[in-house]
Amino acid sequence: MMFASLFQSGCVATDSLLAYVPFKTPINALHDWWYLLLIPLAFGIALTYKALRVYDLRAIWSQTLLMTVQIVVAMIGLAVALAIFVLVVIPRLPVQ
Amino acid sequence: MSSHDHVDLPLTPGAAVLAWLWPGAGHISLGQTKRGIFIMAGVLFLFIGGLLIGGLDVVDRKNDRLWFIAQVFCGPIALGADFLNQNVIKTVDDDKRAQEEPERLTTTSLGRVNEIGTLYCALAGLMNLVVILDALQYRPKHPPARRTDDRRTGETA
Repeated sequence: MMFASLFQSGCVATDSLLAYVPFKTPINALHDWWYLLLIPLAFGIALTYKALRVYDLRAIWSQTLLMTVQIVVAMIGLAVALAIFVLVVIPRLPVQ
Repeated sequence: MSSHDHVDLPLTPGAAVLAWLWPGAGHISLGQTKRGIFIMAGVLFLFIGGLLIGGLDVVDRKNDRLWFIAQVFCGPIALGADFLNQNVIKTVDDDKRAQEEPERLTTTSLGRVNEIGTLYCALAGLMNLVVILDALQYRPKHPPARRTDDRRTGETA
């Protein structure tokens, strides 16, 4: 029932999700929310890297969480910097 | 480790080959079972996540050759995913293309979903390349003796 109400509210493209077959078809419902997929991507990178680097594996989850946050914050920072450059700096550049 | 106390470490090509065959297997063969399991979890999380997001179409040696070069460092699972994509998912027979077009449209990954899925699998391959290189010349992880600032984080120098 909860999922049904979620679909009806328009949060998830119902048709796309119903047609989803794992490994065969893409999750088209995530097309508009692609940027949220960067968070598990950062988590996977952090987990693999920290598995190599951390000597005390009891600290791996806290270290992985920390690195995930660092990657996501860095990506947001780069996005803001690029947006400022494109929307503010470039329009103020002299033309010829 | 600073440059003046460099120690020649023995190469372990067998572990590197195992690390390519299955992510984490190289470190498990070196006695680092728990570390190998974490590596396996990380690399497979990325690779299988990419396949779940974009479908098998994100591993494609014919249409996305440069991405495939990165993905193939995941080992036989990348080759298997490409084999399934070429022989099961894709339309291989041009004569049948017209009648299979509806099926083809549902299995072809496009746009952002394809980009993110491809990126997941490529990063899984590149992270496994780092794992392979670590297994090739493995240095046992010890708590740093001189860099006290790293003790808190539990990281090697």
